[in-house]
Amino acid sequence: MSEIFEDGISRRSVIKGSIAGAGALAVGGVVGGATEAEAATRAKTVSLGSNQSDPAAVKNDNAWLAAAKTAGFNIKLNRVDHNTFQNQINQYLQGTPDNVFNWFAGYRMQFFAAKGLVTSINDVWSKIGSQFTAGYKNASKGLDGKYYFVPTGWYPWAVLYRKSVFADAGVDASKIVTWADFIAACKVFQAKGLTPIAFGDKGGWEAMGTFDFINFRTNGFKFHMDLTAGRVKWTDPRVQKTFNNWKSIFPYQSKNALDMNWDDATALLINKKAAMQVMGAFAAGNFKDPADLADLALFPFPQIDPAYGREAVEAPIDGYLLSNSASKNASASKALAAFIGSTAYASAIAAVAPAALFANSNMPKPTNAFAKQQVELVQSCKYIAQFFDRDSRPDFASPIFANALQKFIAGGDSVAIAKDLQAQWDALPPA
Amino acid sequence: MSNTKIETKTAAQGENPGRRRRSNNFTKRDRAVIAGLVGGPTILHVVFVWLPAIATILLSFCQWDGIGGLSNIHWVGVKNYAQIFTLYSDFKIALRNNTLWLLWFGLIATPLGVVLAYFLDKNLKGTKFFQTAFYLPIVLSLAVTGIIWDYIFKVNGFLNIVLGYTNADTAPSWFGDPHKNIWVVLGIASWRHIGYMMLLYLAGMKSVDPSLREAAAIDGAGEWYTFRKVIFPSLRPVNIIVVVVTVIEALRAFDLVYIINRGKNGLQVLAVAVYENILGESQRIGWGAALATILFVLCLGPIMVYLYQNFKKVD
Repeated sequence: MSEIFEDGISRRSVIKGSIAGAGALAVGGVVGGATEAEAATRAKTVSLGSNQSDPAAVKNDNAWLAAAKTAGFNIKLNRVDHNTFQNQINQYLQGTPDNVFNWFAGYRMQFFAAKGLVTSINDVWSKIGSQFTAGYKNASKGLDGKYYFVPTGWYPWAVLYRKSVFADAGVDASKIVTWADFIAACKVFQAKGLTPIAFGDKGGWEAMGTFDFINFRTNGFKFHMDLTAGRVKWTDPRVQKTFNNWKSIFPYQSKNALDMNWDDATALLINKKAAMQVMGAFAAGNFKDPADLADLALFPFPQIDPAYGREAVEAPIDGYLLSNSASKNASASKALAAFIGSTAYASAIAAVAPAALFANSNMPKPTNAFAKQQVELVQSCKYIAQFFDRDSRPDFASPIFANALQKFIAGGDSVAIAKDLQAQWDALPPA
Repeated sequence: MSNTKIETKTAAQGENPGRRRRSNNFTKRDRAVIAGLVGGPTILHVVFVWLPAIATILLSFCQWDGIGGLSNIHWVGVKNYAQIFTLYSDFKIALRNNTLWLLWFGLIATPLGVVLAYFLDKNLKGTKFFQTAFYLPIVLSLAVTGIIWDYIFKVNGFLNIVLGYTNADTAPSWFGDPHKNIWVVLGIASWRHIGYMMLLYLAGMKSVDPSLREAAAIDGAGEWYTFRKVIFPSLRPVNIIVVVVTVIEALRAFDLVYIINRGKNGLQVLAVAVYENILGESQRIGWGAALATILFVLCLGPIMVYLYQNFKKVD
């Protein structure tokens, strides 16, 4: 366990730690991955920046924080509203950031690593690495190949629906494979007076999920990733194919999309006023009634071009990073990072969130039906995207692309919008 | 009236052949006090107002992502401005919205405030109640105003529930249509602005010498004529404040739209564009600074012209 503390810890403190660790072993029934937990059992003070502000997320957060406290951590929690946290991340990281903070995998993490605003944690990964598959290892590295990120959980995006609503309408979700199947189902629901596809885009980012799916179903995963990274132009005619395919489901989407947030749209699904929603599986957290949650299911976003089938999915990975302030509190911060990577962390959340999915491969397979569906969905896919705002440049995704999608949804001309997007991309400073 | 009093007083002091006839007759202590009283605020003003303002203008000619030190700031000349005017599509919408805001405040909300003040000045029955009612919105910050009205007008908000719409997707959308939502917002903004203008004019009207009204009445002037030719011109100091406040309120609009939908989808305004580029997850400090400079010039231009015109007449 002393290997965790490679940064010049005195032998005495290591010995102290192992004594305390032995104590923990004696006291609690130790779950898998307890080596990290026991390493952390010295009373360690770490500051933690959390963006987990939604009620469901707070519940999960509190569960693992209690486990961390039991493991001997003294965590100074700084919880910030989810969107505010993201908006202020630049000032936060350059000011007096907390040692450890919530963040996302993808370019959105690599960007800050490249700017030198986060601490590399190769030494933590030498301890926890065996508990993660290669996919997570790659997702945790910066562009320089060093580890920065501790992945905790993930969720796929898919078409969410209520089994009872589909049964009432006589629609079989497993038969919705192609775009034509999807539109046919939409027509059935519309005839029944339901909104076929609940859709909210008031925040601007929600529509990126639908865009991503239609784009890689229409033009393939490679094209999509090239587009997010700016390797192909927005003026490419294939972008118009994506927009045109999207337009073909406009009659079935919420007409008030621009006046609803994602959770307003999810509420339509919960209240059986809408049949489906293209959303991240985290929306399950809003199904408060266990009966409603048991009624929730998903199916993969339908195929558009058979050449690309349903081979790709959006499955963003969430986790934690160490800020530069962690270097002044390195041993405690890294011990917490190791704890977060352990099954002790994941088990604590699993106890309160049965449908949650974890990055740690030592976690038992989920038993919750909705969670199982999520795992199957991702395992059936060849390619995994993070999400537009995690795969693309932050100065493009949120301030430029989100606004462009809102203009498209409001009925704007997609050719003009694509032209505008390319012009604005070209005006960005070199990354 | 009070002006004349001050003038006579200073004139009297000037005639007094006392020891303070020339400024260099100040004692050392006097000078130290004056230097402290004038210099202190001046230094604070320069440090906290002028230096940041000048730095912003300088940064508007640079490219910087806000990370790292001065070495990461690159001079790009007027490129930011050129790009903002030619290809930043949200800028055009923001400029249109701020212009609409200014016109709406100037042509509708402020005159309505004057009308309210005119009637409330007549001491009608219940004047105190209406004064309080119209002024109440000013007590609330714009952010609170935004939260209240957002709750009323959002698609699953109070108004739609009262109207009997329980399905957010078939209910009327007050904020969703990018071509119409600005008018809803202007209505909300007026709710607050009219009361503010009313108060400023009411205070001004109360201080108008009643003998002016009497004189006008004796000369046979009608009520409207008296207001137009006698009362309103005597309110010039208030008018200056009102014009300045109206211009500034219209151009700095931020809180309301940011709370409603973060200043997107038809509710873009310049202040939100500045904020998003300087403080968002991605920082384009140079762009944001250029936008702030444009906003600064827009604010300063009309105000300086107006103040100059007015004080020229006074002198």
